[in-house]
Amino acid sequence: MTMARATTSRRSFLGYSYSLVGVVAALVILAWMLVAILAPYIIPHSIGDIVDDDYFGPMRQGLWLGSDYLGRDMLSRVLMGARYTVGISLAAVFIACFSGVVLGMTAAVTGGWLDTCLSRFLDAMNSIPSKLFGLVVVAAVGSSIPALILTLAVIYTPGAYRFARALAVNINTMDFMTVARVRGENTAYLIGSEILPNIIRPVLADFGLRFVFIVLLLSGLSFLGLGLQPPLADWGALVRENIGGLPFAAPAVIIPSLAIASLTISVNLLIDNLPQKIRDRDA
Amino acid sequence: MKSGVLNLVMKRLAVAVVTLLIVLFAVFFATSMLPGDTASILLGQAATPEAVAGLREAMHLNDPAILRFVLWLVGLLHGDLGTSYANQMPVAALIGGRLVNTMKLAAITTLLSVPLALTLGITAAMLRGSVYDRTVTVFSIGVISVPEFMVATLAVLLFAVYLKWLPALSSVNEAHSLTDLVRIYAMPVITLTFVISAQMIRMTRAAVIETLSTPYVEMALLKGASRSRMVLRHALPNALGPIVNAVALSLSYLVGGVIIVETIFNYPGIAKLMVDAVATRDLPLIQSCAMIFCLGYLFLITAADIVAIMSNPRLR
Amino acid sequence: MTDKITNWTSADDAMVENAIRRGASRRELLKMLLAGGAAVAAGSVVLGRATQAVAATPVSGGNLKAAGWSSSTADTLDPAKASLSTDYVRCCSLYNRLTFLDKDGKTQMELAESFDSKDAKTWTVKLRKGVTFHDGKDLTADDVVYSLKRHLDKAVGSKVAKIAAQMTGFKSVDKSTVEITLADPNADLPTILALHHFMIVQDGTTDFSKGNGTGAFVLQTFEPGVRSVVTKNKNYWKSGKPYLDSFEFIAISDDSARVNALLSGDINFAASINPRAMKLVSGQQGFELLQSTSGNYTDLNIRLDMDPGSKADFVAGMKYLVNREQIVKSALRGLGEIGNDQPVSPANIYHNADLKPKAFDPDKAKFHFQKAGLLGQSIPVVASDAATSSIDMAVIIQAAGADIGMKLDVQRVPADGYWDNYWLKAPIHFGNINPRPTPDILFSLLYASNAPWNESQYKSEKFDKLLVEARGSLDQAKRKEIYNQMQTMVSEEAGTIIPAYISNVDALSSKVKGLEANPLGGMMGYAMAEYLWLEA
Repeated sequence: MTMARATTSRRSFLGYSYSLVGVVAALVILAWMLVAILAPYIIPHSIGDIVDDDYFGPMRQGLWLGSDYLGRDMLSRVLMGARYTVGISLAAVFIACFSGVVLGMTAAVTGGWLDTCLSRFLDAMNSIPSKLFGLVVVAAVGSSIPALILTLAVIYTPGAYRFARALAVNINTMDFMTVARVRGENTAYLIGSEILPNIIRPVLADFGLRFVFIVLLLSGLSFLGLGLQPPLADWGALVRENIGGLPFAAPAVIIPSLAIASLTISVNLLIDNLPQKIRDRDA
Repeated sequence: MKSGVLNLVMKRLAVAVVTLLIVLFAVFFATSMLPGDTASILLGQAATPEAVAGLREAMHLNDPAILRFVLWLVGLLHGDLGTSYANQMPVAALIGGRLVNTMKLAAITTLLSVPLALTLGITAAMLRGSVYDRTVTVFSIGVISVPEFMVATLAVLLFAVYLKWLPALSSVNEAHSLTDLVRIYAMPVITLTFVISAQMIRMTRAAVIETLSTPYVEMALLKGASRSRMVLRHALPNALGPIVNAVALSLSYLVGGVIIVETIFNYPGIAKLMVDAVATRDLPLIQSCAMIFCLGYLFLITAADIVAIMSNPRLR
Repeated sequence: MTDKITNWTSADDAMVENAIRRGASRRELLKMLLAGGAAVAAGSVVLGRATQAVAATPVSGGNLKAAGWSSSTADTLDPAKASLSTDYVRCCSLYNRLTFLDKDGKTQMELAESFDSKDAKTWTVKLRKGVTFHDGKDLTADDVVYSLKRHLDKAVGSKVAKIAAQMTGFKSVDKSTVEITLADPNADLPTILALHHFMIVQDGTTDFSKGNGTGAFVLQTFEPGVRSVVTKNKNYWKSGKPYLDSFEFIAISDDSARVNALLSGDINFAASINPRAMKLVSGQQGFELLQSTSGNYTDLNIRLDMDPGSKADFVAGMKYLVNREQIVKSALRGLGEIGNDQPVSPANIYHNADLKPKAFDPDKAKFHFQKAGLLGQSIPVVASDAATSSIDMAVIIQAAGADIGMKLDVQRVPADGYWDNYWLKAPIHFGNINPRPTPDILFSLLYASNAPWNESQYKSEKFDKLLVEARGSLDQAKRKEIYNQMQTMVSEEAGTIIPAYISNVDALSSKVKGLEANPLGGMMGYAMAEYLWLEA
């Protein structure tokens, strides 16, 4: 087993090595982003229009992805759904991971009461059921896309914090941290230049997972009334509203599921296969 | 070192009580922010102002909510969870059997998913970049990116409706033998394993890879140490902190988050109880469920923190 | 619902059988068959087969496991508090009412032997003799007085307190005679007392967890939010009934899970299945469907006392903008009947069949919106999963509006707290009204000027006068005429748009026999437990 690192084909470009899988994943994500931007201009039907007398209709000419439970065009709904699933989830996951990771590293480096307070506070937040939290947000500020993004971010910050802190605490005990402290470096430098580079990969892996969770929770919150208003629907909501088509293997439920899977798997594969600088110590 | 851990546990216990209080207060505050109260919700469409006022009076809901909350806390000190507003039964009686059900499901799922996920995560890290590694990634992400209700419904369609191997409903009171038990728990446990394993697999993989790339492990590898030995002797202990945290976060889902599984398999657990309680603004029941969720979570993360500290000599 | 059928299949057999069960006339059946493309000759064959399947002798024994759709920790065995269908089903198996509604919507006596009144104000109720409660005590007039009177006590939290309020005097004349005095004459009293909440409990009962009634089953297990099991009452006063040895009732809130549990054989009866799952059940051997149209409806309410409903043209425009056919076809998948904006459904004997629904006419709608000066403005419409199919209806109306430049902003709000927070309150919102047995109840609760749930804030003195007039009249023909007029008034003047009466479809194993449609709702008006039997 010695040095048995099984590698698939990695190529290099401009001093970076990259893998084919990573490139494909990146292309899939780019394609969905492009769809998200262009959706309003390319959808064949309005997403609210009932264009089929039948429901859960099969794929056919004119209705390329079949029809949904009301007889609306699935192709249009999936294309428009990309906008919300990609946009809202990415925004929410960035906010959640950024705040969680920064707070986590700060807590680990600073320690003491700040660490204790932050940790307990975020633990407390994490044990409030997300449904209750969602309902309170609807009752308090009503429904809007920014409120939806922030709610998702708040729900997933404590988890990101806990994981990042656990990683950072280990790094914090290393000798080079002591050295840096002795040099008199401030906290911002310590977390930015010493801790982050050493935990970035697990943090990114966590980012990828949290993205998946957010994509799924998004539809749950929409159903509570927080967020997207009909006839708009994200992919998760499309799966949910068409779940009755599952016994008929209706494209209306299968296609949005595949769309979610293609996006989430690509994000995670891209994270696993990010381009690396050649001669990086891991190369 | 032993006393250090004991010290830590004591400190954490004290902090846990404070956290619990914060959570209970936050939940209380959240509940009071929701529109409507038990009287108006129980009357539903029949709620005229007079009817609501009358019922509220009869149910003793006219005391300020905060007073009722404090009284509940006082009762809690005596081990009394209070009486449900919605059906006048003791909360302890409502929770009792369902908590046992939740614990059973959580325990079985844990026993299956944790060893499975850790094995997959560690082996994927050891064979990083291989076809095996990628398969594990695609499979684990693919599995969680399918919504939980779809996994559960698919399982029912396949195993109960078409193949007729398993019952569609998990009726706990019909379990008379080990075979029954396996048949009843098979689908809920598989669904939940799908849901919670990915986080553990991915985080284990990432944490182990990270420690494998630290200079001293690389040095040892260059010196010719065996890779599997390195993983087990050095990388794993060092990665244990993040791993147990990921495990704790995943398992915390099993306490309060299994609402979809409980609904689809008609399995009476406490997640559904909490949903019902919120729907009827049943304060004593909400508080009691919230307390159980919070205690479960605190137990898991405290255990994770202790394992993390024990595993890193410098943190002890 | 039949315009898609081109080939006659076993599923269509089932449909005809079901139609017969729900009491469809021969004319209706023929229409159905013709629409299906079957020749009349073939039709009669099918009818023969179906009738045969319905007629069979009941057999005793067996355990029926049925699933409803809603259940929570608030489940109760107190009939006055019953709020979910689950509660109705359980209460019906444990208790009896004085009267009940049969499959044709006619009032039949149950615990009462007769209802008599000269002026419709003072009523004498003779009770059936030889009826005992589960604990052995005989049913007496005191039990009836107690059961009815408690609805007036605010502390009970009765769901029908408003309807019960008209009963002002109760007297037990002798052991088996009760005298009820009303505030104002009401010829409908026997029908009103067929409401599930007016079940008869034992005098003095405050703890209902034992379910001690006179009903066909005795309570064995009851866990709120989980399940109930009842067993045969061997001393039941209806001879030969019930047929079942035991009856277990659970609730599976997930639509697909409920159907799947039936198909996998875990349960024998799944109540109220999603119309989209019908294809799944009717295509399978060994399962049947029963459709009942009971008068449940989801309505779009435009408050006439608030903007924009205060502009008559807006309301008129909306009535033209609602595509009722599409709502029945797409949102309800054919399981409904087109409504004409008034609450008395075709299942009711007082339904005004001459009152035609407004045709979908976007041009006329546009004209009215323009006149109201509202075209191009964004108008919020509140919908929620709490009101059945309201989101789908809202989306259909929204799409029609978009075509003529009318921007309707559909706001999906949480089902949680909907009835408290939005219903009756938002300027434009959806409601959902359960079936009620008489036009008088519907109009007094929903349309009279002082109605507690006047959804559109409709006020008309003339209407109020007609309501009182019809209520006190014992002359059937005259009442019919007044109610026809009132239905027209509501349809034309009120701000409630009732696009369709929603049908309910129950799915069951073919082994379960004896199920009929009932105007009070699915599951035989929730009272199925004592009528069903299991084929050996």
